[in-house]
Amino acid sequence: MTAIAMQMFGADVLKVRKRRGTMIWVLVLALLPVIILFAAKAIQHSSSPAKYEPAGGTAGFTDGVRLLCLFFGPLAAILIGVEAGTGDVAAGVFRDLVVTGRSRLGLFASRVPAALAVCWSVIIVGYGLVLLGTFAFASNLQTPDVSLVLNGLGFALLATGVVCTVAVGFASLTTSKPAAITALIGWQLVASPLIANISSLGTARDAVLSQALVHFSPVHVGDRGASVTMSQGTALLVVVLWLALFLALGAWRTRTMDT
Amino acid sequence: MPASGDDSSAPDPPIGGPAIETSGLTKRFGERTAVDGVDLLVPRGSAFGFLGPNGAGKTTTIRMLLGLTHASAGSMKMLGHPVPAERARTLQRVGAIVEEPRFHPYLTGLENLRIVAAVRGPQAADRIVPALARVGLSERAGEKVKNYSQGMRQRLGVARCLLADPLLLILDEPTNGLDPGGIQEFREMIRAMVEQEGRTVFLSSHLLDEVEKICDAAAIVDRGKIVTQGPIAELAEGGARNELILGVDDAELALSALGASELVREARPSDEGVRVVLTGDLNTAAQVNALLVGAGVGVTRLEPVRHSLEQRFLQITSRLDAADRPDEVPA
Repeated sequence: MTAIAMQMFGADVLKVRKRRGTMIWVLVLALLPVIILFAAKAIQHSSSPAKYEPAGGTAGFTDGVRLLCLFFGPLAAILIGVEAGTGDVAAGVFRDLVVTGRSRLGLFASRVPAALAVCWSVIIVGYGLVLLGTFAFASNLQTPDVSLVLNGLGFALLATGVVCTVAVGFASLTTSKPAAITALIGWQLVASPLIANISSLGTARDAVLSQALVHFSPVHVGDRGASVTMSQGTALLVVVLWLALFLALGAWRTRTMDT
Repeated sequence: MPASGDDSSAPDPPIGGPAIETSGLTKRFGERTAVDGVDLLVPRGSAFGFLGPNGAGKTTTIRMLLGLTHASAGSMKMLGHPVPAERARTLQRVGAIVEEPRFHPYLTGLENLRIVAAVRGPQAADRIVPALARVGLSERAGEKVKNYSQGMRQRLGVARCLLADPLLLILDEPTNGLDPGGIQEFREMIRAMVEQEGRTVFLSSHLLDEVEKICDAAAIVDRGKIVTQGPIAELAEGGARNELILGVDDAELALSALGASELVREARPSDEGVRVVLTGDLNTAAQVNALLVGAGVGVTRLEPVRHSLEQRFLQITSRLDAADRPDEVPA
């Protein structure tokens, strides 16, 4: 990375992380559900140990990973990606950056790693909470080995990173923060599960991003996460196509828009 | 050279030639022509006003120069470089405020400058502190921009321009929203940039008084076309370069003497005495004086007519209005 690219990356990170309202929601979405999950399970276990298993262990880890990587983590990733994709245009600063002579593609390109850096910082903290709950509340249960812990981390970064990158591209395309957030969260929470459960659509459902991402999970996701089965190769292809499509659209719009 | 934005090591644009030169610059939005064949010549080391009413095409011209929108036709050069072909290299030494300066309101002034410095390159970061001092914002740089007044935002916008150590500053309506004190400060800052630092300032405005007080030269634009351009004094004089106002003790006798002279094209009474249009230039004023004295007229005052830029501007635009409405009978 050149010095200028590093500086631009730092500047884009600054813009996102200093956006207090967005960051509060991101932290709430990424951390609070994990805390609530383990706290609730720990309370249940302490109130009735015979009826409820300890909150931690491999089962707690699986629940935590599923919650962080497939439900709330992607929502946090969407908020960060949209902020990175629309921040300059929404503030009217984009044209001031363009008149520096820096290429528009360069300006677009620095948004993606910056969004990922912020997103992954939060997700790593969230994953740390999952591990804390997993081991602290394991009691006599089996705990995940190092390999599973590392695979879980990789999956958390992959699942949220892909969504975050798609959000940067989509937000750069729309240039409207409310529109991008509404569309992406609507897609993630409503449209994706709905489409995935319409069995008459057959293999067309393979194109749903969240369904493809589930196939990289190191833990059993169960019916609540995956309704569609596909090979890992197909899943990888779907993920790559989503990334390529939305990065290309975001870059095209950033390069061609009148400011 | 390709217009990549990453050529921070490229040498400075060469000194020499006009700061801005356009030829036949045109911008069309569908059927509407917003900028119509503009030929502009902005000399280096001057404050140049781009004067015109709202909607005349000033901002669109600036946006084309800066590569914010494409030109429909024509060619442009800035600092000797053709743009957009060498836009990236050229803009390294150009600072610009288009319309109003905008910032991330939740960041401090300092942080906003850091963001632009990061995009401009390593040297720009070293200019942040001096730029803030130059515009008098050092004390308030740590405050969030959302708490800044309009005047402070304008000054922060200029500080942002200075991060480029610009040879050319392009300022679009820079005194909009400033109070009289702020306008005065701004004028002094622009004059200092031109006179002490040798920068070129291209300033668009619809405020005639502002251009007249700040600028050395100007172009008047109306309905997308350059109507006239040149040094402010020449623009203001316009067709009045050979007009005199005379104070005389006997207007009737003076008019009679002047009417018979070949030195005078037209002489008429006015509130101030007698107004005379010479056949030659103002150098013949002494002969006119001698003529009147010889005819027994006491001359108490003799001075060239001086138009303000505002009068000249209204003259030009009203002429254009009349040309657009040839069938209307003047009131």
